[in-house]
Amino acid sequence: MTTAVADAHDHHDDHGPAKGIGRWLFSTNHKDIGTMYLVFSLTMFFVGGLMAIVIRSELAIPGLQFVHPEFFNQMTTMHALIMVFGAVMPAFVGLANWMIPLMIGAPDMALPRMNNWSFWILPVAFGILLSTLLMPGGAPAGGWTMYPPLVLQTGDAFPFLIFSVHLMGISSIMGAINVIVTIINMRAPDMTLLKMPMFVWTWLITD
Amino acid sequence: MPKGVTDLSVETYNIHMMIFWWCVAIGIAVFGVMIVSLFKHRKSKGVKPATFSHSTTAEVIWTAIPVVILMLIAIPVAETMVKLEDSRDPDISIVVTAYQWKWHYRYQDEGVAFFSSLARPSLEARRKQSGVDPFAVDNYLLDVDRPLVVPRDAKVRLLVTSNDVVHSWWVPDLAIKKDAVPGVINDTWFKAKEVGTYRGQCAELCGKDHGYMPIVVEVVEADAYQAWVNMRKESVPQVAGTTLAKEQQ
Repeated sequence: MTTAVADAHDHHDDHGPAKGIGRWLFSTNHKDIGTMYLVFSLTMFFVGGLMAIVIRSELAIPGLQFVHPEFFNQMTTMHALIMVFGAVMPAFVGLANWMIPLMIGAPDMALPRMNNWSFWILPVAFGILLSTLLMPGGAPAGGWTMYPPLVLQTGDAFPFLIFSVHLMGISSIMGAINVIVTIINMRAPDMTLLKMPMFVWTWLITD
Repeated sequence: MPKGVTDLSVETYNIHMMIFWWCVAIGIAVFGVMIVSLFKHRKSKGVKPATFSHSTTAEVIWTAIPVVILMLIAIPVAETMVKLEDSRDPDISIVVTAYQWKWHYRYQDEGVAFFSSLARPSLEARRKQSGVDPFAVDNYLLDVDRPLVVPRDAKVRLLVTSNDVVHSWWVPDLAIKKDAVPGVINDTWFKAKEVGTYRGQCAELCGKDHGYMPIVVEVVEADAYQAWVNMRKESVPQVAGTTLAKEQQ
């Protein structure tokens, strides 16, 4: 009897993070997810930056030295999409994930499993987008605003472009919902809206 | 930004500079107040922070001042825009049709129509590894085989449209940047006051040769214009009942 009670009492799990890749794949921890967002953002920043180097090298002096005009336009279009949706926005969401729960006294984001999804959609979306560089007709080259009719001249990459941008949109909408719900519902007692730090306010407003 | 060679290009330039100086003044005022406040009210001077969280007076002031500034900007801008849009009673009407990647001009009353493409020297130099030094080419990427020719002091109406994707007819010296949209005819106008050659480019990404469809407008005296029109008419084989031959030029 006493042993049974002692057993139950001592039956603590190890609360450290899961081991191996599972820690990152299945994480619901806002700091882990925030870190993944920031690392992903930095990676995309370098990928987009490489494209910027192609663009600026070609423009350095008049005439064509390195690439053809059609590939140049693919570089500008992909650079913009990657920098906007792959570098800037995930960097912001990464900081929000890290900071907001800490700043408002919440134990985690309000919807931790959705948080995991918001992040893991991104590598899939950008995998699809980057794969268009290898497709017949090349990557999208009509500018990141994707205006028709020019964007309709995209080759086989067209449906993949549409799908990947929708995935990015779904990811950022889920991230925004998570931030809003966290700020509205998970503030510590006495953390009124007007006592919130400016960083948290900017997130509540812009989301 | 050039002052340009039309009355409206000068007006556009002046509006641009007026707004620029408003921005400078606002920048100095805002950052000036901020720097003075940071310097004079810093903690090491023992200044106690203010505790109020609301001031109706401040809100009225920071709403009223921008409204007044915006009105001062909006009124002259609206006046100029009304003039820009008024393309009635032109002396010459030209249909400008954009193609991937060249321009087509059709003078409505003169029976003159032609394509205007990148000039041959630029075309050769712009090929990858062409071996031609672009610096050795006059007006590299800003020269065409057949320029648009118009007389000085004539009101020229442009009816701008496109055959394929969206382009934009942009000539800074005329202060005109008009989108060429398929299925839509946008109109604009200019009256150049000085004889000369004015160069522009396509200003809306339109595919791989977006950078290789420049615009050249030659403004000439009225008699030289008439001579040019006659020359163009003679050089085009006339086919009865069709304008096709002219357009194939």
